[in-house]
Amino acid sequence: MARKDLLDIASLHREEIEFLLDQSTSFKKLFTHSVKKIPALEGKSVLMLFYEASTRTHSSFEVAAKRLSAEVTNFDVAHSSITKGESVRETIETLQAMRTDYIVVRHGHSGLPGMIARQTTASVINAGDGAHEHPTQALLDAFTIKEKFPDPRGKKVLIIGDILHSRVARSTSTLLQKLGVEVAYLGPGSLVPKYIPESIRRFTDYEAAMAWSPDVVYLLRVQMERQDVQFFPNVREYHRVYGITNARLAEIRDRGLYIMHPGPVNRGVELCDAVMDYERSLITNQVENGISVRMAVLDWLTPGGDFPRQESYVAQQRASSTVIMP
Amino acid sequence: MLLLQNARIASENSPVLLEADVLIVEGKIQDIGPNLAIPEGARVIDARGRVLMPGMFDAHVHFRAPGFENKETITTGSEAAINGGITGVVMMPNTRPALDSATAVATVLENAKLRSRIPVYTSGCVTKNREGKELAEIEGMRELGVKMLTDDGDTTNDPAVLLRAMQYATEFGMFFASHCEVPELAGPRALNEGVMSYRLGIKGSPACAEEIIIDRDIRLARAAGAHVHIQHVSSKLGMETIRWWKSRGDVKVTAEVAPHHLMFTDEHIGDYDTNYKMNPPLRTQADCDALLEGLVEGVFDLIATDHAPHTPFEKAQDFLSAPNGITGLDTALVSLYHHFVEPKKFGWDLVVKRYSAEPRRLMGLPVAAVEVGQQAECLLFDTEAETTFTREFMKSKSQNTPFLDQTLKGRVDLVILGTEILLER
Repeated sequence: MARKDLLDIASLHREEIEFLLDQSTSFKKLFTHSVKKIPALEGKSVLMLFYEASTRTHSSFEVAAKRLSAEVTNFDVAHSSITKGESVRETIETLQAMRTDYIVVRHGHSGLPGMIARQTTASVINAGDGAHEHPTQALLDAFTIKEKFPDPRGKKVLIIGDILHSRVARSTSTLLQKLGVEVAYLGPGSLVPKYIPESIRRFTDYEAAMAWSPDVVYLLRVQMERQDVQFFPNVREYHRVYGITNARLAEIRDRGLYIMHPGPVNRGVELCDAVMDYERSLITNQVENGISVRMAVLDWLTPGGDFPRQESYVAQQRASSTVIMP
Repeated sequence: MLLLQNARIASENSPVLLEADVLIVEGKIQDIGPNLAIPEGARVIDARGRVLMPGMFDAHVHFRAPGFENKETITTGSEAAINGGITGVVMMPNTRPALDSATAVATVLENAKLRSRIPVYTSGCVTKNREGKELAEIEGMRELGVKMLTDDGDTTNDPAVLLRAMQYATEFGMFFASHCEVPELAGPRALNEGVMSYRLGIKGSPACAEEIIIDRDIRLARAAGAHVHIQHVSSKLGMETIRWWKSRGDVKVTAEVAPHHLMFTDEHIGDYDTNYKMNPPLRTQADCDALLEGLVEGVFDLIATDHAPHTPFEKAQDFLSAPNGITGLDTALVSLYHHFVEPKKFGWDLVVKRYSAEPRRLMGLPVAAVEVGQQAECLLFDTEAETTFTREFMKSKSQNTPFLDQTLKGRVDLVILGTEILLER
């Protein structure tokens, strides 16, 4: 069941997901110990290759790797001249020569971690590629949900916001569906792709979505840095139409729904300030769980492993009826 | 002197292959008939079972010269054409410098005469440097034989500029080839907007970005009384738009479809395979089916490859960074046979009409046909043999094609142009 790389959720089998979530539970127990470090990856090297700015994911991986006793190196992308594809190829050759064991990569271009994985013996972990996938975020989301709903089958998660640019929405919805969770999208028409999987419900207004009775409302971050093109008139209007306003929070509290958000939060846009103090907000749980999930992933992968390449999307699609529905 | 015995002759006018001997003397077809006598000194080729057909003509190729000779040159491009059974091509003008003046065109044509074994024609830009602002040196290019004007690679975005160009150039008997795409809608120009763009997390290019310009440019041509040729149509509604305009009959419109748009869908991109990245992008099976219907029905006047070579280095980048386009000349005829003729989706007559006769008519050139009195411009195609498209097989300088290392049914065995045997396998 071992793999060399973790590039996406789409190709993960249910047993692999269950295994990783179980392992995450064990690693989380470590956090209560006075010594949180174990020697699992002693002598191994983890290279952090972040082409896009990141605080949470980057530090979460770094902490996870260090708790497993791995040596962590940060590739200083900001101070190198690397920005685009051809330089990435040269970088890959350099990395291969360095014989690093793990490469944790984040890049603005979809598919780039896969390209690196094909050309290195290191285990490559996709820490977010374009609007494609963010598998460890999905795993920590699922882990967080499972802490509240140990058997999540039949539960409903409403994902609200910018689906178009969101790798979180893609990965998390795929993973939740593999666990038997129902998923729906709600967002501005300009930010929800016309072609989404048939298995995902799509709502066009908040009230209708709430009438669907979700158990969790998952708010996506409005990615201001992508707003060079105007997808909605202004953030005030966004907050009113798609955000958790004070009035909506009251209803959510009444219904006892959980709120999640991958962070960082734009206060006053996706949600009002009061959400941060809401007793059923799982936002900090998500951050905490990120570490144990990433420890489980690092521990699981096998650098230098000679495994068959992950199935292509076409193959996955053909087999999807058996994979997606539990 | 060459005698081809028992060839099965394909023609645009008949779905049935005519079995006969063909005698070629001094580069001309002197006789066709059963059991021709073998003249003294004639070379005899046993063509039994093989299809003899006119040389193909590709009205849409990128030979990248001048400016991008690392991708292709006129020599390597024309050798790729010969390798695929193509005996004439029309280059696109998106070179560097762009072919927007008589001087630039003259240089290319002179080069082509020296460096190509087949006729290489070129189109010229509509606007200077393809910038969509000032008209190119239209009449100067016409004097050198340019008939087709296009800013291919991009749409001439300002409709007023295109209309004026049409009004001006139509007076000189020239016509316009349109690359149809609203750039503001097309996004990163990487793949079709659809199920696949969602899954791969790349903003898709919606078919309407193409369809709007198809309609716009035909309307402009109608207003100017011009002839517009719609290039590489990829969408169902694009095809239907052209069909509707053709049915009205009040505007001269022709259109082309590329083999890859008939054969592949966005699903083939799979794991970000850049060999399937092209513009317009591969769309869905429903689009492929509609394009095939349009080709059989005659909505598409011609097949053209949009042969677009790129270096391995460029195509080996990640999907978004890699350039658009695939090569097509080495593979076109065999792949059309493999995918459509062999499974009887259309006949040889359609291949000859759409990939040999009509493109030559579009360019105002004499049509090549296997008929007595015609220049010998033909090829022998073995329908039973196979072709494996290895790197060594392909003559294009670049090998950015989905067919790399694939084996398909059919093989181009012999290519003849006048007194020359250009290729013999």
